[in-house]
Amino acid sequence: MGMTRTRTPSHQARIILAVLLEVPGAWRHGYELAQLAGVKSGTLYPLLIRLEGLGYLEAQWQPPVEAGRPPRHAYRLTAAGLRFAQANPPAPVTAGPLNPREVTI
Amino acid sequence: MSCGLWRGLAVLACDLLERVLPADLKDWGSAVRLETAGIESDAAALRFAAGGLCGLLPLILAHHVRQMVLSFDRASSSAGMTVHPRAIGIACAIAAVGLGLGYLAMAGAPGRYLGVNAVALLLGLGMLVAIRRAGPTVRLWPGTTTLLLSVLLLATALGGARVDDAARWVNLGGLFIQPSLVLLPLMILDFARSTNRRSTWGMILTAAALALQPDRAMAGMLATGLALLAMMRPDDGHVSRALAGAIAGFATTLIQADRLSATPYVEKVFHAAFSLHAVAGMLVLAGAVLMLVPAMVGWARDQHNQEIYAVFAAIWGVALVAAALGNYPTPIVGYGGSGVIGYVLSLAMLPKALPARSMGKGTLGAETADDPTPLRLECIALA
Repeated sequence: MGMTRTRTPSHQARIILAVLLEVPGAWRHGYELAQLAGVKSGTLYPLLIRLEGLGYLEAQWQPPVEAGRPPRHAYRLTAAGLRFAQANPPAPVTAGPLNPREVTI
Repeated sequence: MSCGLWRGLAVLACDLLERVLPADLKDWGSAVRLETAGIESDAAALRFAAGGLCGLLPLILAHHVRQMVLSFDRASSSAGMTVHPRAIGIACAIAAVGLGLGYLAMAGAPGRYLGVNAVALLLGLGMLVAIRRAGPTVRLWPGTTTLLLSVLLLATALGGARVDDAARWVNLGGLFIQPSLVLLPLMILDFARSTNRRSTWGMILTAAALALQPDRAMAGMLATGLALLAMMRPDDGHVSRALAGAIAGFATTLIQADRLSATPYVEKVFHAAFSLHAVAGMLVLAGAVLMLVPAMVGWARDQHNQEIYAVFAAIWGVALVAAALGNYPTPIVGYGGSGVIGYVLSLAMLPKALPARSMGKGTLGAETADDPTPLRLECIALA
C-alpha cells in the first residue's frame, strides 16, 4: 500500500508494539493482541497493516493446531520492529486532572 | 435467537470486508474472518468483525478512489480522450448534491430544505454558464474584483445578519446566504492563479473580514489554502504577505468565543448521518469524497496546474473537516444553498479541458485553445 513514511507512533500503536515485544519472536494472533493491548479490532488491524507496510511486522498464516480448526494469521516483530518498539515504549500512565463534574457535591 | 442473529451479522460483516478489500489486503480480511470464527461469544464476535470492517473502511475507500482515478486516467490516455476537470467537477457536484438529498430525505428534513439545495445547484450551474458567456466581454484590472469582493465580506462582517455574535449572513429577501462560503473558495483559487498587489490586499481584507465575522472554518480555509500556496511558491512575496494576514485572521477567530449551536441538517451532518444509519453516513461520506475527485483527477493528469488542484482539494477538505469537528455548515451534502453555489462556482477556476496526455502544454492555457473565456474572477462578480 505504499506506506513508507515513518511517524511518531500513537499511544495505541506503542501499546501494541509493547505487547509484541513482551516475548520477542513469539507469534501473536489478532484477537489475542486486541485483548492484551486493550484496543478494538477497528484500531488493531489498520495499525498492523501499517506496521507491516513499514517493515516492522511480519505476518504469516499458521496451520491449525487442532484438526478441524481454521488456519490463523499470526504476527511478530521483525528485527527493525524490535528496535522500533524498544525506541517507542508506551508513555507512562499519569493521573489526569480531576473532572469537576465528578467531584461536585 | 438473537445470538444466532449476531453471529450471522458477524459473518456478514466479514463477507463484506473480504469483498471490498483490495487484492493486496485480502489476507487481512481473511484474518478478521478466521479470528471472528474463533471467538466463542456471539456478541464479541460481532463487535470484533464490525470493528474490523469500520476500522479498515478508510483504507478501502482511499484505495477505491485512487483506483477510480487511475483507471480513469489510463482509459482516457489510452483512448486519446480529452480530460475535462471542470466537467468532472460538475458531474461530481450533481452526484454529491444528489447523495446529500438522499441523506436529507432519510433524516426526515423538511421538503423545503431539499428544494433549496436542488435550486442552489441549478443556480450555481447557471452562474457558471453565465461566467463563461460573459468572459470575453468583461475585463477589469486583475485583482480588482478580489478586492471588491473582500469589501463585500467586510461589509457582511460589519452590517450582516447576526446570530449569537456572529455576523456571517446577508438577508436577500428573506433568504439568508453566507457570502464567504459562496465567494471565498473562488477568491482563493483566483489568487492561486494570479497574484498582484490588489488581489493581495483583497486576501488581507478578507482575512480581516473573517476575523470580524468571526468564522473559524472560513478563516481556516483561507489560511490553509494560502499556506499550501506559500509552500509551493516560497519566493512569491504576494503570497507570503497574504498568508501572514490569513494567519493573523485565523488566530483572531481562535481567541474569540464561538457560541453558535449546531443547526440540524446544516452542521454536525457527518455525526448525525452515521448516528441515523450506516447507509445515511455512507451517503454523506461518499458525497464529501466526490467533492475532492476533480482535484484528484486534475492532479493525476495535469502536472502544470497542480498548485490549483492542491489548493482546491485543501480548501474544500478544510471545509469538510471543520464541518465534522465544529458547528460549521457541511457543504453540498448538508442543507444550505451557499455551499452548493460556492462549490460549483469554484469549479470555474479549474481548467476546462486538458488534451490527452498533454502534461504540460494543456493546463490553464489549454482552455484558451477551445475555450476563449479567460474565466477570471473579474467576470464572476458580474455574472
